Amino acid sequence: MESALGLSGYQATMMIIVFVLLGIGIGALFLALFLPQRWKPKYWMEVAFVALLIGVVWYGDMRSTQVVNAYQGQMADAGVLDEPAIDGAEGFDRELKVIAFQWGFAFLTEDNKISRNAAVVKPGETILFRIFSNDVIHGFNIPAAGITAEFDPGKERDVWIRAPLEPGKYLIQCLNYCGVGHAQMKAWLVVEGPEDEAVDGEGSGA
Amino acid sequence: MAHLHDAERMGETPHWVPEDIIGNMTLKTLLFSHDYRHIAIKGILTSILMLGLGGLMALLFRTELAAPDIQFFGARPYMQLMTLHGMFMVFGFVIPFVISLNYYMMPKVLGTGRLLWAGAAQWSYWLLILAAVFLVIARPDFTWTFYPPMSLRVGGDLVFLGYLAVALVAVSEFLAGAVLMRNGWEAARRIGLGKLPLMGWGAISEGILLMGSTPILAVVGVTMLTDWMELTALFDPARGGSVVTFMYMFWFYGHPAVYLPLMPAIAVLYTLLPRFLGRPIWSHWSAVIAFSILTLLGFVVFPHHFQPAENVVGPLERATQILTLAIFIPSTLHVFNWISTLWSDRIPDSARRAIPFKFIVASIFFLMLGGVTAYVNAQIATDSDFVHNTYFVPAHFHAMFVGFMANMAMAGAYYLYPYFTGRMFSQRLANTHFWLWQIGIFSKVTLMYYLGFVYFPRWVVDYLPLQQWAVPQMLLTGAAYMIGLGFIFFVINFMWSATRGRTADADPWALSDDAVTSGATAHPAE
Repeated sequence: MESALGLSGYQATMMIIVFVLLGIGIGALFLALFLPQRWKPKYWMEVAFVALLIGVVWYGDMRSTQVVNAYQGQMADAGVLDEPAIDGAEGFDRELKVIAFQWGFAFLTEDNKISRNAAVVKPGETILFRIFSNDVIHGFNIPAAGITAEFDPGKERDVWIRAPLEPGKYLIQCLNYCGVGHAQMKAWLVVEGPEDEAVDGEGSGA
Repeated sequence: MAHLHDAERMGETPHWVPEDIIGNMTLKTLLFSHDYRHIAIKGILTSILMLGLGGLMALLFRTELAAPDIQFFGARPYMQLMTLHGMFMVFGFVIPFVISLNYYMMPKVLGTGRLLWAGAAQWSYWLLILAAVFLVIARPDFTWTFYPPMSLRVGGDLVFLGYLAVALVAVSEFLAGAVLMRNGWEAARRIGLGKLPLMGWGAISEGILLMGSTPILAVVGVTMLTDWMELTALFDPARGGSVVTFMYMFWFYGHPAVYLPLMPAIAVLYTLLPRFLGRPIWSHWSAVIAFSILTLLGFVVFPHHFQPAENVVGPLERATQILTLAIFIPSTLHVFNWISTLWSDRIPDSARRAIPFKFIVASIFFLMLGGVTAYVNAQIATDSDFVHNTYFVPAHFHAMFVGFMANMAMAGAYYLYPYFTGRMFSQRLANTHFWLWQIGIFSKVTLMYYLGFVYFPRWVVDYLPLQQWAVPQMLLTGAAYMIGLGFIFFVINFMWSATRGRTADADPWALSDDAVTSGATAHPAE
């Protein structure tokens, strides 16, 4: 599954760095506690370790920025980030308007078909979600696509994903507490298989 | 004596003579005495009560979460429990607990002899109690961040008491900050910054954080109240207000709030570690630099709390990312210092047996477990994937709040116990408490990290019956019960030992390793 941000490689690298740093720290703590040999570290060692960490910080910032810039670049090229935003932006296979409300999502297709709590797409296509909340702050998370966004009421927020290649139903959920019905604020990204294509032509809801 | 630092103050002689201070307290001294020990004991006991109440709430909602679907609670009572749990644990337990430990230790460690501005500490305590009462009456369900316009619309008729409680917490914490600053500064003025013990540096850092951040929380609380009364419309977008304004104002307090229990807990650690090891901290000035950088960064990294929002973009987003990542550096300076202190000479047998020392070591472990994941929390790309508002965030802050700060609170409480009861606690019960907590906290934190990694959302009473969610949630509930059981052992031990425990020696924490006591050479702080 290719995620929108392309995080799999970068994400794995960052988690490895986390585990290595944790291993160094915990290893040093256990050695300090249980190793019979006593040893007073030199002060330059701390300076060297901080220098190493500055390198780690620089690397994390650089990689994260590269990933985010590449992600946003796709939208910038399509004019999505322009002010005012272009309606019907080119560059994406599908564009869906999303209305988030207490407590659900409604999806509006380019030909003004609306479906509540289900976005119907095709495998592998790129989808631009133009999200709008008309009541409170909500979140928009598609775990299968590795994307999370938070958006304020009255202001449009745009995110894009590449749909999973495997047909099926993928969870869409609110990730920002938005009132007592927050736990129920879910929808589905429905990736159609070839057998569903006929239905697609007639529009579908859930 | 070239340097008056913690080791020379703490390592050679005990601070207090063990005596039954609690047993000799009357209701009047408990409520109104300005003696630093009475104020601190009152704060510690109240914090333990808050921990019990907040923990009970956690066990209730964790029982609900043990399996998918709704078993016991509807969404509203669940969120009320969740909100009160968060507020009781942060504002009622961990912050006042570690500040109370500082109140107890500062007069001796800093040499002031008494708690300066004790009256302000007294007001701070009572305002916090009033805030807790308001919260219990209001039973808000808007989480501790009470984002508008949601909280303005769903809070219920008594929500105004919740906003008043927020303002009272702000005033209470401001006063506590003023007390810490006054005592830290007085010590610095008297003996000079160069000789100021690290507890003094901690007190000044904490004072700056509290006094700098809480006024804006008070403004937020009052403005939420006037917005709710429809006298103003600063935060309600439906009436022309802005949630962005709220975000910036709230999190200007909200991020330093995370450090409010951190700084005093670090100060206690720097004070107790030399006491148990009988040698100074490896590098005094490294600790001072770390305190200073952490204080500065504490005020500027707050936008990372709402990073995946459209309004945090461009240079501000990048700067926030870099500065948040940079928190790694002062945190590492602290950890490096503690491990180097441990490693630089023999660890006395008396330390290895001492319960407070065990809690200190566990705290260092959890600070690493919680702190290291800040590396992915800080990065916009990972934050916009599996971090923001999944269980990855509570995993991070539970490692810090429970694993580091609550463990340090316990280290301080066990350390002071013989000094304010005149008796020693049961070592066996304390060991049971220690291991139940460490296994429970470690299980809880790692399971939460995993759940975050598989996108389990925060603040939900019900969830889909997915195997990758349901099994860890069941185990997580078991871990929470383990922590709760440890707390019961702690309370029984504290109550039972206060009257039946062995009478404490003149120095309850005397070094008992001859190789150290006779052969130690105090390395001067760098």
